[in-house]
Amino acid sequence: MKIDSSLPLEYSTEENRLKIFGFWIFLGAEIMLFATLFTVYFVLANRTGNGPTGSEIFELTPVLFETFLLLTSSFTIGLGIHAMRLGNKKAMMTFFITTLVLGLGFLGIEIFEFITYVHEGATITTSAFLSALMTLLGTHGAHVTFGLFWGIAILIQVAKRGLNAQTTNKAFIFSLYWHFLDVVWIFIFSFVYLKGLIS
Amino acid sequence: MSMEEIFHPMQEPMILMAAISIVVGAIVVVAGLTYFKKWGYFYKNWLSTVDHKKIGIMYIAVALLMLFRGGVDALLMRAQTAVPNNGLLDAQHYNEIFTTHGLVMILFMAMPFVIGLMNIVIPLQIGARDVAFPRLNAISFWLFAAGCGLLNLSFIVGGSPDAGWTAYFPLASTEFSPTVGNNYYSLALQLSGLGTLMTGVNFITTIIKMRAPGMKLMKMPMFTWSILITNVIIVFAFPVLTVALALMMLDRQFGTQFFTMANGGMDMLWANLFWVWGHPEVYIVILPAFGIFSEIIATFARKNLYGYKSMVMSMVVISLLSFLVWAHHFYTMGHGVMVNGVFSITTMAIAVPTGVKMFNWLLTMRHGKISFTTPMLYALGFIPIFTIGGVTGVMLAMASADYQYHNTMFLVAHFHYVLIPGTVFGVLAGYHFWWPKMFGFRLNEKLGKLGFWLIAISFNVTFFPLFILGLDGYARRMYTYSESTGYGPLNMLSFIGALGLAAGFLVIVYNIFYSWKNMPRNEKADVWDGRSLEWATHSPVPEYNFAVVPTVTQLDEFWFAKKEGRDITAGKFEKIHMPNNSAAPFWMSGFFFLAAFFAVFSAWIPAIISLLGVFGFMIARSFEKDHGRYISVEEIMETEKRLRGDK
Amino acid sequence: MKELFPKQHVMGFGFSLLLTIVALSVVTLDMSYNIAFTILLVTALAQATVQLVLFMHIGESEDKKTLYTSILYAVFVGVITIIGSLLTMIWGYQ
Repeated sequence: MKIDSSLPLEYSTEENRLKIFGFWIFLGAEIMLFATLFTVYFVLANRTGNGPTGSEIFELTPVLFETFLLLTSSFTIGLGIHAMRLGNKKAMMTFFITTLVLGLGFLGIEIFEFITYVHEGATITTSAFLSALMTLLGTHGAHVTFGLFWGIAILIQVAKRGLNAQTTNKAFIFSLYWHFLDVVWIFIFSFVYLKGLIS
Repeated sequence: MSMEEIFHPMQEPMILMAAISIVVGAIVVVAGLTYFKKWGYFYKNWLSTVDHKKIGIMYIAVALLMLFRGGVDALLMRAQTAVPNNGLLDAQHYNEIFTTHGLVMILFMAMPFVIGLMNIVIPLQIGARDVAFPRLNAISFWLFAAGCGLLNLSFIVGGSPDAGWTAYFPLASTEFSPTVGNNYYSLALQLSGLGTLMTGVNFITTIIKMRAPGMKLMKMPMFTWSILITNVIIVFAFPVLTVALALMMLDRQFGTQFFTMANGGMDMLWANLFWVWGHPEVYIVILPAFGIFSEIIATFARKNLYGYKSMVMSMVVISLLSFLVWAHHFYTMGHGVMVNGVFSITTMAIAVPTGVKMFNWLLTMRHGKISFTTPMLYALGFIPIFTIGGVTGVMLAMASADYQYHNTMFLVAHFHYVLIPGTVFGVLAGYHFWWPKMFGFRLNEKLGKLGFWLIAISFNVTFFPLFILGLDGYARRMYTYSESTGYGPLNMLSFIGALGLAAGFLVIVYNIFYSWKNMPRNEKADVWDGRSLEWATHSPVPEYNFAVVPTVTQLDEFWFAKKEGRDITAGKFEKIHMPNNSAAPFWMSGFFFLAAFFAVFSAWIPAIISLLGVFGFMIARSFEKDHGRYISVEEIMETEKRLRGDK
Repeated sequence: MKELFPKQHVMGFGFSLLLTIVALSVVTLDMSYNIAFTILLVTALAQATVQLVLFMHIGESEDKKTLYTSILYAVFVGVITIIGSLLTMIWGYQ
């Protein structure tokens, strides 16, 4: 395996560069996936049937907490990659663990939010608006959940095998995924919650 | 659901017969593999392969099988409507057959045929040793195969989908389609769609990152260009299908309200999402054919492709426009003038880049020394027939006129006039063209040409009458009609044409056996006096593709090197890094298949257990240390000597 | 310790918090729907850019042109899908 030492470790082999490139392309597909879910949400947003409207069920405080947690986790994973490039395995792992804990916190609030909705009689089967809302949020939440397991798998590998061309590559790709989920959340925050609260 | 309900379709004698023949066929295959002691060979060399050439061959094998299945569906439809008030099929059976005919032909015949050819050819054309992610490629194939198997299982176990291949709501909702048929639809398409999406990511990466040294983007062969653009469309269109199918499943199996008629649901939103994916999908199966024809026309006219840059530009424009036209599939929904106007204009605009390509092909042939081989015949047949399809397409693009044509046989005739000369002629041309590269012997030309003429003539006999029937008001998807309508004679003519198409298909398949027995082996590398890099390596291709990766300085480097007497494959051998085979993709897709199968019947616990199996494979892959293997210089020298010595 | 917190990342984080607060103003302040929607659009796009450029380092690899093209293509098709669907399903229909 040819290793190019002028590049960061995660870019150092041809295979690594292919994987990073391929993952970016995959993120393009993910953008379309969420764009479609947003399409469905926007088309159905005012079609509430006999169920509640957005402004009736959205609560700002938990959403702000979610946003803050996810933004911070995006920051810490960025720091994790920076530490990884410095070769500082311990700092990298600390930042990654922080990221996952913040992600877990986000997920906890989101689950709590869903339970509240259901208690208020707003379930996924109540109206087209709620179906679209919960599918959009659920898809994002499922991505975060998947990310938690993925992150743990990478942490185990880094702990066992250290920072090498393979583990750094995986960690870097994971960081792209995590930042992307943050971007999606920003759009949910802005165009689902804030927009829902003002209209 | 009781066992009786699950096996209900088998009470139908025709389905029972089909089921029995599938079982008998499976037993023959299993017995054959056991008798010839080929299990080990089959498992090691095919089920666990990550070689793009073998994966491509498997795609094409499935595609031919599905061409047979979809073809039988079509024959049954034409037979049923051949005479008025026919009782061969009842309404339900007819509904199932036109639904699966559409699904099978588009998603399990056209798609795998195209993907199979791109698998075989693309790495060779760009001078690469494999695709970017060989293991992912195997997963793509096996996921596709799982989806294909699931859809084909539906007509024996539980019942086929019967709401049309477009599965419009509310017809496809549980209220009007209470059987599990449409659950099969959402899950089978979901599986194969995921496979296709991964193919898209894989081939974009391969083409962008793995071209031979010196092959700039504007020096790529036209087929490679068409595949790059096709895969761009795949990556951005298939997620829409993923979402649409997931919503369909949620609506049918979890009681959500996306496409319902109450509680705010919107049935036309399904049609909207379906066509946001569906229209780009048409270009996904057409653009590769354009690429194939470009290669074949340039090769057999012995001239450089005319207007290379405009060819590329027109495909880029088509790829963008393909995302801008979807609403023309439901002009009659009742939009305002503005919406129909916008989509009319974008739709007609697509004719412009397509026309540019037509003229480029014609000008490529001008003053060329054309040799009329089987692939070239398909390319030549494509041009006039596709033009009829294109022109009738422009007729349909006019929203106000479409109110007259909508959902009549005129539309059916139109899209068959586009998809058959476009996609089917394209893939058959490519199949005849690259067959020697895959297997090292040619397909018999006489039989190939006979197949072409049977198909080209019968095609027109089958589908031209449908234009007239459609203008007479014959609606699509009617299982029968009364004699007083006067539709009888033309429908009979169409049935006769369909028999001819079936005969053409049989000739093509017979040609495989005939050529396998009779054609000379060890065909030389450059069978057709070709132009692009795939002809520079041996036929059949060694697993590492090129012993020495060629360097490229211009378009059609191989052609010019031939003229100048240069050997672009000369050079010093070095050890070659290759990926390891793995059966994991096969088994992982097996778990995917199980999960989807249980989900069809809403058996969620076994479905979740099967999904955990899938995740198990993902975790195992993450922890696996797999650095591939090396082929030594001695081994390369031996292989090269063997392959060259026979020439 | 200081080298673990590079300026680029800290700035990016600061930006993203700031943009969130600006976006929040649509709820806390009284303004017309059109202005509010514009603010949301601008802040969300800015947030996405911060993530892409400062955190995801989209511009660091040899393929940056292709990556930008691919992301822009995705955004183009995504926006077309959203606006086109609203056009066909709501604005041009009802």
